[in-house]
Amino acid sequence: MMMDELELLKKDWQKQEETLPKLSYDDIYKMIWKKSSSIVKWIFYISIAEFVFWIAMTLIPINSEDITGSGAQFVKISEWVLEITAFIIIIYFIYQFYQNYQKISVTDSARDLMKKIIKTRKTVMRYVWFNLGLFALTMVVVLLEVLIFNPPTEVMEKISSADSTLIAWLLLGLFFAVAIVFFGLLLWLFYRLLYGILLKRLNENHRELKKLEV
Amino acid sequence: MNKELEHKFVSELESNQNIVHKVCSLYTNDRDSHNDLFQEITIQLWKAYPKFRGDAKFSTWMYRVALNTAITLYRKSKKRIRTQDYDSVIFKIKADEYDDTQERQLKLMYNAVKQLGDIDKALVFLYLEDKDYSEIAETLGISEVNARVKMNRIKNKLRTILNP
Repeated sequence: MMMDELELLKKDWQKQEETLPKLSYDDIYKMIWKKSSSIVKWIFYISIAEFVFWIAMTLIPINSEDITGSGAQFVKISEWVLEITAFIIIIYFIYQFYQNYQKISVTDSARDLMKKIIKTRKTVMRYVWFNLGLFALTMVVVLLEVLIFNPPTEVMEKISSADSTLIAWLLLGLFFAVAIVFFGLLLWLFYRLLYGILLKRLNENHRELKKLEV
Repeated sequence: MNKELEHKFVSELESNQNIVHKVCSLYTNDRDSHNDLFQEITIQLWKAYPKFRGDAKFSTWMYRVALNTAITLYRKSKKRIRTQDYDSVIFKIKADEYDDTQERQLKLMYNAVKQLGDIDKALVFLYLEDKDYSEIAETLGISEVNARVKMNRIKNKLRTILNP
Protein backbone atom coordinates (compact mmCIF):
# COMPACT_ATOMS: atom_id res chain seq x y z
CA MET A 1 0.00 0.00 0.00
CA MET A 2 2.82 2.30 0.95
CA MET A 3 4.63 1.51 -2.26
CA ASP A 4 1.59 2.65 -4.19
CA GLU A 5 1.43 5.89 -2.28
CA LEU A 6 5.05 6.68 -2.99
CA GLU A 7 4.48 5.81 -6.65
CA LEU A 8 1.51 8.16 -6.63
CA LEU A 9 3.71 10.85 -5.21
CA LYS A 10 6.30 10.12 -7.87
CA LYS A 11 3.78 10.73 -10.63
CA ASP A 12 2.60 13.93 -9.06
CA TRP A 13 6.20 14.98 -8.45
CA GLN A 14 6.80 15.36 -12.18
CA LYS A 15 3.62 17.40 -12.51
CA GLN A 16 4.56 19.90 -9.83
CA GLU A 17 7.23 21.33 -12.12
CA GLU A 18 4.61 23.64 -13.58
CA THR A 19 4.11 25.33 -10.23
CA LEU A 20 7.81 25.91 -9.58
CA PRO A 21 9.21 29.45 -9.74
CA LYS A 22 10.99 30.43 -12.91
CA LEU A 23 14.07 32.61 -12.73
CA SER A 24 15.36 34.54 -15.70
CA TYR A 25 18.87 34.44 -17.14
CA ASP A 26 19.59 37.83 -15.54
CA ASP A 27 18.33 36.73 -12.12
CA ILE A 28 20.74 33.82 -12.13
CA TYR A 29 23.57 35.89 -13.57
CA LYS A 30 23.27 38.33 -10.68
CA MET A 31 23.35 35.48 -8.19
CA ILE A 32 26.72 34.11 -9.23
CA TRP A 33 28.43 37.26 -7.96
CA LYS A 34 26.87 37.13 -4.52
CA LYS A 35 28.93 36.04 -1.51
CA SER A 36 28.51 32.58 -0.11
CA SER A 37 27.37 32.21 3.48
CA SER A 38 27.99 28.49 3.80
CA ILE A 39 29.20 26.93 7.03
CA VAL A 40 32.51 26.15 5.36
CA LYS A 41 33.06 29.87 4.99
CA TRP A 42 32.11 30.44 8.62
CA ILE A 43 34.50 27.73 9.75
CA PHE A 44 37.24 29.22 7.61
CA TYR A 45 36.88 32.70 9.13
CA ILE A 46 36.61 31.43 12.69
CA SER A 47 39.68 29.25 12.18
CA ILE A 48 41.70 32.16 10.79
CA ALA A 49 40.66 34.23 13.80
CA GLU A 50 41.85 31.44 16.09
CA PHE A 51 45.21 31.16 14.35
CA VAL A 52 45.74 34.90 14.55
CA PHE A 53 44.65 35.06 18.18
CA TRP A 54 47.04 32.36 19.36
CA ILE A 55 49.95 33.63 17.28
CA ALA A 56 49.42 37.03 18.88
CA MET A 57 49.41 35.36 22.28
CA THR A 58 52.70 33.62 21.50
CA LEU A 59 54.27 36.90 20.42
CA ILE A 60 53.59 38.54 23.76
CA PRO A 61 57.09 38.59 25.25
CA ILE A 62 57.69 36.88 28.54
CA ASN A 63 59.25 39.37 30.87
CA SER A 64 62.49 37.79 32.00
CA GLU A 65 64.69 40.86 32.03
CA ASP A 66 64.60 41.13 35.80
CA ILE A 67 66.17 37.76 36.17
CA THR A 68 69.85 37.89 36.89
CA GLY A 69 72.41 35.58 38.33
CA SER A 70 73.31 32.01 37.64
CA GLY A 71 69.85 30.88 36.42
CA ALA A 72 69.30 33.68 33.92
CA GLN A 73 71.04 31.96 31.03
CA PHE A 74 69.09 28.76 31.57
CA VAL A 75 65.76 30.61 31.74
CA LYS A 76 66.45 32.55 28.55
CA ILE A 77 67.42 29.45 26.63
CA SER A 78 64.41 27.47 27.80
CA GLU A 79 62.06 30.28 26.82
CA TRP A 80 63.72 30.53 23.45
CA VAL A 81 63.39 26.78 22.84
CA LEU A 82 59.75 26.89 23.90
CA GLU A 83 58.97 29.70 21.48
CA ILE A 84 60.75 28.15 18.51
CA THR A 85 59.04 24.80 19.11
CA ALA A 86 55.66 26.49 19.40
CA PHE A 87 56.26 28.39 16.21
CA ILE A 88 57.19 25.27 14.23
CA ILE A 89 54.14 23.42 15.53
CA ILE A 90 51.86 26.35 14.69
CA ILE A 91 53.18 26.41 11.12
CA TYR A 92 52.54 22.69 10.89
CA PHE A 93 48.96 23.19 12.08
CA ILE A 94 48.30 25.99 9.61
CA TYR A 95 49.67 23.86 6.79
CA GLN A 96 47.49 20.92 7.82
CA PHE A 97 44.43 23.13 8.15
CA TYR A 98 44.99 24.58 4.70
CA GLN A 99 45.45 21.11 3.19
CA ASN A 100 42.24 19.83 4.75
CA TYR A 101 40.35 22.96 3.82
CA GLN A 102 41.45 22.70 0.20
CA LYS A 103 40.13 19.14 0.03
CA ILE A 104 36.58 20.18 0.92
CA SER A 105 34.64 19.81 -2.30
CA VAL A 106 30.96 20.33 -2.84
CA THR A 107 31.03 17.70 -5.59
CA ASP A 108 31.99 14.92 -3.18
CA SER A 109 29.43 12.49 -1.89
CA ALA A 110 27.43 13.83 1.06
CA ARG A 111 29.31 11.62 3.48
CA ASP A 112 32.78 12.55 2.21
CA LEU A 113 31.93 16.22 2.29
CA MET A 114 30.83 16.00 5.92
CA LYS A 115 33.87 13.93 6.83
CA LYS A 116 36.23 16.49 5.33
CA ILE A 117 34.55 19.41 7.07
CA ILE A 118 34.75 17.60 10.41
CA LYS A 119 38.41 16.76 9.77
CA THR A 120 39.24 20.40 9.02
CA ARG A 121 37.45 21.41 12.19
CA LYS A 122 39.38 18.84 14.20
CA THR A 123 42.71 20.23 13.02
CA VAL A 124 41.81 23.64 14.39
CA MET A 125 40.47 22.07 17.58
CA ARG A 126 43.76 20.25 18.09
CA TYR A 127 45.56 23.53 17.43
CA VAL A 128 43.50 25.22 20.13
CA TRP A 129 44.18 22.46 22.66
CA PHE A 130 47.87 22.60 21.82
CA ASN A 131 47.87 26.32 22.49
CA LEU A 132 46.00 25.90 25.73
CA GLY A 133 48.56 23.33 26.83
CA LEU A 134 51.36 25.62 25.79
CA PHE A 135 49.72 28.48 27.63
CA ALA A 136 49.45 26.43 30.81
CA LEU A 137 53.06 25.28 30.43
CA THR A 138 54.27 28.84 29.93
CA MET A 139 52.38 29.92 33.01
CA VAL A 140 54.03 27.19 35.05
CA VAL A 141 57.47 28.08 33.69
CA VAL A 142 56.97 31.77 34.44
CA LEU A 143 55.69 30.95 37.89
CA LEU A 144 58.68 28.75 38.64
CA GLU A 145 61.06 31.40 37.32
CA VAL A 146 59.52 33.99 39.55
CA LEU A 147 59.52 31.77 42.60
CA ILE A 148 63.03 30.42 42.10
CA PHE A 149 64.93 33.34 40.65
CA ASN A 150 63.01 36.39 41.68
CA PRO A 151 60.70 35.60 44.56
CA PRO A 152 58.45 38.43 45.69
CA THR A 153 59.58 39.07 49.26
CA GLU A 154 56.10 39.72 50.60
CA VAL A 155 54.67 36.37 49.53
CA MET A 156 57.76 34.49 50.66
CA GLU A 157 57.61 36.07 54.07
CA LYS A 158 53.95 35.20 54.47
CA ILE A 159 54.60 31.62 53.47
CA SER A 160 57.53 31.16 55.82
CA SER A 161 55.64 32.83 58.65
CA ALA A 162 52.64 30.53 58.15
CA ASP A 163 51.96 27.79 60.69
CA SER A 164 52.79 25.14 58.17
CA THR A 165 54.99 26.09 55.27
CA LEU A 166 54.00 22.94 53.38
CA ILE A 167 50.29 23.68 53.58
CA ALA A 168 50.88 27.26 52.47
CA TRP A 169 52.73 25.99 49.40
CA LEU A 170 50.00 23.46 48.68
CA LEU A 171 47.35 26.17 48.92
CA LEU A 172 49.28 28.33 46.49
CA GLY A 173 49.58 25.40 44.08
CA LEU A 174 45.91 24.57 44.48
CA PHE A 175 44.97 28.14 43.73
CA PHE A 176 46.84 28.05 40.43
CA ALA A 177 45.47 24.62 39.53
CA VAL A 178 41.91 25.79 40.13
CA ALA A 179 42.54 28.93 38.07
CA ILE A 180 43.86 26.88 35.14
CA VAL A 181 40.95 24.41 35.29
CA PHE A 182 38.47 27.27 35.54
CA PHE A 183 39.78 29.03 32.44
CA GLY A 184 39.98 25.74 30.58
CA LEU A 185 36.35 25.01 31.43
CA LEU A 186 35.28 28.47 30.35
CA LEU A 187 36.96 28.01 26.99
CA TRP A 188 35.56 24.53 26.57
CA LEU A 189 32.06 25.89 27.21
CA PHE A 190 32.64 28.66 24.68
CA TYR A 191 33.65 26.11 22.04
CA ARG A 192 30.78 23.81 22.83
CA LEU A 193 28.40 26.70 22.27
CA LEU A 194 30.07 28.08 19.15
CA TYR A 195 30.47 24.80 17.31
CA GLY A 196 27.42 23.26 18.86
CA ILE A 197 25.36 25.85 17.05
CA LEU A 198 27.40 25.76 13.86
CA LEU A 199 27.88 22.03 13.45
CA LYS A 200 24.96 20.40 15.26
CA ARG A 201 23.11 19.53 12.09
CA LEU A 202 26.23 18.39 10.27
CA ASN A 203 27.28 16.10 13.11
CA GLU A 204 23.81 14.57 13.33
CA ASN A 205 23.65 13.91 9.60
CA HIS A 206 27.16 12.51 9.55
CA ARG A 207 26.34 10.16 12.43
CA GLU A 208 23.28 8.99 10.56
CA LEU A 209 25.25 8.17 7.41
CA LYS A 210 28.02 6.53 9.43
CA LYS A 211 25.53 4.43 11.34
CA LEU A 212 24.38 2.96 8.03
CA GLU A 213 27.78 1.53 7.26
CA VAL A 214 28.16 -0.42 10.50
CA MET B 1 36.58 33.46 -15.28
CA ASN B 2 35.82 34.43 -18.80
CA LYS B 3 32.54 35.65 -20.28
CA GLU B 4 32.04 32.51 -22.30
CA LEU B 5 32.13 30.33 -19.20
CA GLU B 6 29.71 32.63 -17.39
CA HIS B 7 27.29 32.50 -20.27
CA LYS B 8 27.50 28.74 -20.61
CA PHE B 9 26.96 28.20 -16.91
CA VAL B 10 24.04 30.59 -16.51
CA SER B 11 22.26 29.18 -19.58
CA GLU B 12 22.68 25.61 -18.38
CA LEU B 13 21.46 26.48 -14.90
CA GLU B 14 18.55 28.44 -16.33
CA SER B 15 17.31 25.45 -18.28
CA ASN B 16 17.94 23.04 -15.36
CA GLN B 17 16.72 25.30 -12.56
CA ASN B 18 13.78 23.02 -11.75
CA ILE B 19 16.12 20.60 -9.99
CA VAL B 20 17.36 23.34 -7.69
CA HIS B 21 13.84 24.65 -7.03
CA LYS B 22 12.67 21.18 -6.09
CA VAL B 23 15.53 20.77 -3.60
CA CYS B 24 14.75 24.21 -2.17
CA SER B 25 11.07 23.48 -1.74
CA LEU B 26 11.89 20.22 0.02
CA TYR B 27 14.37 21.74 2.46
CA THR B 28 12.78 25.12 3.18
CA ASN B 29 9.33 26.25 4.20
CA ASP B 30 8.92 29.82 3.12
CA ARG B 31 9.64 31.94 0.12
CA ASP B 32 12.55 33.84 1.69
CA SER B 33 14.53 30.78 2.69
CA HIS B 34 13.69 29.14 -0.64
CA ASN B 35 15.36 32.05 -2.44
CA ASP B 36 18.18 32.08 0.07
CA LEU B 37 18.98 28.43 -0.51
CA PHE B 38 18.59 28.80 -4.27
CA GLN B 39 21.19 31.55 -4.21
CA GLU B 40 23.63 29.54 -2.09
CA ILE B 41 23.28 26.52 -4.38
CA THR B 42 23.89 28.77 -7.41
CA ILE B 43 27.04 30.17 -5.80
CA GLN B 44 28.30 26.68 -4.97
CA LEU B 45 27.54 25.43 -8.49
CA TRP B 46 29.36 28.38 -10.01
CA LYS B 47 32.39 27.92 -7.77
CA ALA B 48 32.59 24.26 -8.71
CA TYR B 49 31.83 24.80 -12.38
CA PRO B 50 35.42 25.29 -13.64
CA LYS B 51 36.15 21.76 -12.41
CA PHE B 52 33.08 20.31 -14.05
CA ARG B 53 34.52 18.22 -16.84
CA GLY B 54 31.41 17.43 -18.77
CA ASP B 55 32.04 13.70 -18.56
CA ALA B 56 28.95 13.61 -16.35
CA LYS B 57 25.63 15.13 -17.29
CA PHE B 58 25.21 18.69 -16.06
CA SER B 59 21.98 17.71 -14.29
CA THR B 60 23.58 14.72 -12.50
CA TRP B 61 26.38 16.95 -11.28
CA MET B 62 23.76 19.47 -10.14
CA TYR B 63 21.91 16.97 -7.96
CA ARG B 64 25.03 16.37 -5.95
CA VAL B 65 25.99 20.01 -5.45
CA ALA B 66 22.40 21.08 -4.72
CA LEU B 67 21.83 18.34 -2.14
CA ASN B 68 25.23 18.86 -0.50
CA THR B 69 24.48 22.54 -0.15
CA ALA B 70 20.99 21.94 1.24
CA ILE B 71 22.08 19.24 3.69
CA THR B 72 25.53 20.35 4.79
CA LEU B 73 26.55 23.84 3.75
CA TYR B 74 23.36 25.82 4.20
CA ARG B 75 22.61 27.22 7.63
CA LYS B 76 18.99 27.30 8.69
CA SER B 77 17.97 30.01 11.10
CA LYS B 78 15.80 29.32 14.14
CA LYS B 79 12.99 31.43 12.76
CA ARG B 80 12.65 29.20 9.74
CA ILE B 81 12.47 26.04 11.80
CA ARG B 82 9.58 27.53 13.73
CA THR B 83 7.79 28.38 10.50
CA GLN B 84 7.92 24.71 9.59
CA ASP B 85 6.04 23.62 12.70
CA TYR B 86 3.53 26.33 12.10
CA ASP B 87 3.00 25.24 8.51
CA SER B 88 2.48 21.61 9.31
CA VAL B 89 -0.09 22.43 11.97
CA ILE B 90 -2.13 24.40 9.46
CA PHE B 91 -1.60 21.66 6.94
CA LYS B 92 -3.04 19.00 9.20
CA ILE B 93 -6.20 20.99 9.93
CA LYS B 94 -6.71 21.72 6.27
CA ALA B 95 -6.07 18.16 5.24
CA ASP B 96 -8.69 16.91 7.67
CA GLU B 97 -11.33 18.86 5.81
CA TYR B 98 -10.68 16.97 2.60
CA ASP B 99 -12.51 13.84 1.60
CA ASP B 100 -10.57 10.66 1.41
CA THR B 101 -9.42 11.47 -2.10
CA GLN B 102 -6.15 11.11 -3.90
CA GLU B 103 -5.55 14.77 -3.42
CA ARG B 104 -5.79 14.47 0.32
CA GLN B 105 -3.45 11.52 0.26
CA LEU B 106 -0.97 13.44 -1.81
CA LYS B 107 -1.01 16.40 0.53
CA LEU B 108 -0.49 14.11 3.47
CA MET B 109 2.39 12.44 1.67
CA TYR B 110 4.11 15.73 0.88
CA ASN B 111 3.61 16.77 4.45
CA ALA B 112 5.05 13.49 5.72
CA VAL B 113 8.11 13.78 3.47
CA LYS B 114 8.71 17.31 4.74
CA GLN B 115 8.84 16.00 8.28
CA LEU B 116 11.68 13.59 7.48
CA GLY B 117 15.31 14.24 8.43
CA ASP B 118 17.83 15.76 6.02
CA ILE B 119 19.30 12.47 4.83
CA ASP B 120 15.93 10.74 4.47
CA LYS B 121 14.66 13.68 2.44
CA ALA B 122 17.62 13.36 0.08
CA LEU B 123 16.88 9.67 -0.49
CA VAL B 124 13.19 10.31 -1.14
CA PHE B 125 14.06 13.21 -3.43
CA LEU B 126 16.40 11.13 -5.56
CA TYR B 127 13.86 8.30 -5.60
CA LEU B 128 11.14 10.68 -6.78
CA GLU B 129 13.54 11.99 -9.42
CA ASP B 130 13.70 8.43 -10.73
CA LYS B 131 17.34 7.85 -9.84
CA ASP B 132 18.48 4.26 -9.43
CA TYR B 133 19.94 2.96 -6.19
CA SER B 134 23.51 3.03 -7.45
CA GLU B 135 23.25 6.76 -8.12
CA ILE B 136 21.47 7.40 -4.81
CA ALA B 137 24.20 5.45 -2.99
CA GLU B 138 26.97 7.31 -4.79
CA THR B 139 25.47 10.72 -4.13
CA LEU B 140 25.19 10.06 -0.41
CA GLY B 141 28.40 8.08 -0.05
CA ILE B 142 26.85 4.84 1.20
CA SER B 143 26.65 1.38 -0.33
CA GLU B 144 23.83 0.38 -2.63
CA VAL B 145 22.59 -2.26 -0.20
CA ASN B 146 22.44 0.29 2.57
CA ALA B 147 20.61 2.72 0.33
CA ARG B 148 17.92 0.08 -0.22
CA VAL B 149 17.74 -0.75 3.48
CA LYS B 150 17.47 2.92 4.31
CA MET B 151 14.74 3.45 1.72
CA ASN B 152 12.69 0.64 3.26
CA ARG B 153 13.08 2.21 6.67
CA ILE B 154 11.95 5.54 5.29
CA LYS B 155 8.85 3.89 3.83
CA ASN B 156 8.08 2.52 7.27
CA LYS B 157 8.71 5.90 8.81
CA LEU B 158 6.34 7.54 6.34
CA ARG B 159 3.76 4.93 7.16
CA THR B 160 3.92 5.79 10.85
CA ILE B 161 3.71 9.50 10.13
CA LEU B 162 0.66 8.93 7.92
CA ASN B 163 -1.06 6.48 10.28
CA PRO B 164 -0.17 7.51 13.81
